[in-house]
Amino acid sequence: MIDPTVATAPPTKARRRKVTRESTLQALPWLAPALLLIGGVVVYPAGYMFYTSFRDISRFGTDLGWAGWDNYGKVFALGHLPRVFLNTGVWVVGVVLVSVLVSLVLAQFLNKTFPGRTVVRLAVIVPWAASVVMTSTIFVYGLDPFYGVINQFLVDTGVMAQPYGFLKNPVSGFLSSAAVAVFVSVPFTTFVILAGLQTVPGDVLEAAQIDGATKPQTYWRVVFPMLRPALAVAALINVINVFNSLPILRTMTGAIPGYDADTTTTLTFKIIQGDRQIDTASALSVINFLVVLIVIAFYLRIVRPMREV
Amino acid sequence: MRRVIKAAAIATAATLGLVACGGGSDSGAGGNTELELMVPSYGDKTKPYWEDLVKAFEAKNPTIKVKLEVQSWDDIYKVLDTKIQGQKAPDILELDSAGPAYGKEGLLFKADEIVSPGTLADVVPAFVESAAIDGTAYGVPTVASTRALFYNKELFTKAGIAAPPKTWDELLDSAKKISALGGGVSGYGMPLGNEEAQGETSIWAYGAGASWGDGSKITVNTPEATEALTFMKKMIDEKATQADPGATNRTPLINVFIQGKIGMITGLPPVVGQIKEKNPSLQWAIAPSPTKDGKPATLGVADYFVGFKKDGKKQEAIRKFLDFFYEKDNYVKFNDNEGFIPATKSGGEAAAAKPELKEFIAALPGAKFYPSTNPAWSTASGAFKQLVGQIQTKPAADVLKEIQAKVDAGG
Repeated sequence: MIDPTVATAPPTKARRRKVTRESTLQALPWLAPALLLIGGVVVYPAGYMFYTSFRDISRFGTDLGWAGWDNYGKVFALGHLPRVFLNTGVWVVGVVLVSVLVSLVLAQFLNKTFPGRTVVRLAVIVPWAASVVMTSTIFVYGLDPFYGVINQFLVDTGVMAQPYGFLKNPVSGFLSSAAVAVFVSVPFTTFVILAGLQTVPGDVLEAAQIDGATKPQTYWRVVFPMLRPALAVAALINVINVFNSLPILRTMTGAIPGYDADTTTTLTFKIIQGDRQIDTASALSVINFLVVLIVIAFYLRIVRPMREV
Repeated sequence: MRRVIKAAAIATAATLGLVACGGGSDSGAGGNTELELMVPSYGDKTKPYWEDLVKAFEAKNPTIKVKLEVQSWDDIYKVLDTKIQGQKAPDILELDSAGPAYGKEGLLFKADEIVSPGTLADVVPAFVESAAIDGTAYGVPTVASTRALFYNKELFTKAGIAAPPKTWDELLDSAKKISALGGGVSGYGMPLGNEEAQGETSIWAYGAGASWGDGSKITVNTPEATEALTFMKKMIDEKATQADPGATNRTPLINVFIQGKIGMITGLPPVVGQIKEKNPSLQWAIAPSPTKDGKPATLGVADYFVGFKKDGKKQEAIRKFLDFFYEKDNYVKFNDNEGFIPATKSGGEAAAAKPELKEFIAALPGAKFYPSTNPAWSTASGAFKQLVGQIQTKPAADVLKEIQAKVDAGG
């Protein structure tokens, strides 16, 4: 008996295209909720932000019409913009770099078997599970010069002669916020790297050992390269997260006058809240959005983290 | 048989008629109206108060539903601007004098359109006028407050100060004496963080005779204001204040005063209740705000109800709700809750009997309000919040210039 599938003529291009279209249509009902969600929570707001950045919106929120590039002009006319961009750079690079370094060490440690490992792993993940505003607020109280326990501790142990307003001066406030940002980024990063470590096959390590590689050699020549995909994911998500992080800086340095402790994200917020210029804030958000896109594009291009090992 | 059919027909018709009537009153002109009410939160008691009031109102007016939204002072402006931009303004809004300023954009009912004449006649006229735009009042005042100097009697005794200071020089002198006591105690609490910096600055500037301009132009960069800010800087430089006033917010600082670690602080009526609740053993008293030469002057603040016009259909319902709010019992309860000075004559009589409000009511004649019917004031206020704390490190004149530039740019 002749196999019917062999007997049929090979599908033509048109037919294949039809099949593709058909299967796409068939899949649509299942994809629709996801597409709607993406449209509703990503595309629409982003589009609206873009639209708003070209409108002239009054202090009271009334739309007064087309504004052209005026809002962008206003953003670039801000005298404190260079400092804010510098802060943003320091903030993103610093926090991500330190987070990844700390996480590499921590993941290595958590990858070893030792009694109570589960408990330690749980403890590490707690800062991530807690709300960022909550964590920041705890530090705000802890660092308060009047009743903060951290200040009190530093004075009692003789490290400082008197309480210091850590969150009341731009540089120390910015650094304290960065420390908290690292603190809340480390759990996620650690677990991504830990997941990466666990994909390193035992026989590869064994082979390295048999070949007489020292511990550091094994790590840098064998384990680390295999961590590349995990590191790539961890770093990328961190860059996006840290770049857009508002709550930490807003909670911890929000009271500092001037703009010396601001990143572009908190500046956007101040323009909305303080100056009540929704249009200018939208323009800055669009710029923010472009910057993060460019940063990621460069990262993917230069570091090529997804390259096959 | 025929009669039966006839009876049945009549019954049916009657039922249909009734049903039609019922339908009519549900969806027709005299039917259900939904009012959106947006109010700021003054404290823990605000939300329960409004929930109770809405319930009582709905029970009396079954055809009107009130949707309550309580927002924090931090967020309310932003939420509101977003809502207005999206054509979703609330029907009734309570806000500081930024509320009536929306009248400038033609968004509001006039004051006499949203309350009955009887209610309006009961409100102290000066308050209604304080937020009028070009002679037209858009807001109906809800509460008023003035500021006064709270001082810690125990610290005064320890530092050997006999009476609360009346002038700036006395204030500086007393504050330095208290700061010198040591032990983490500060003389004067000066909150210039972004929470309420415009308030503290205004008290000082008004105390030097400055004003922030009028309905047509906001001018912050005046010689009087420069003098006031320069003196504030002197207070900071001579360590008469707590450390880092530039980044200290008001609410936490008031708490430090309540803990007894600050000699003097400028406070508003609700602080009285807070002290009673949190630290009843604190030895404290209230005095008028010190000014440059001792002449009485301080900051007055009033909050207002405004009604957004939108399609204009809900005017009657808005009037009913606001009249209900101003009914004496409801209104007195509102003020008792929050500890403010009532803005109505009838409420004022009730408040005058309370000793803790005496200083604040006495300060009313000398109180100056923000020029907030000028839309540019909101920019100025925001600029003060963000920038004025810089006097800690920069010359006062430069900071004022920076704020003025922001006001002019936001124009």
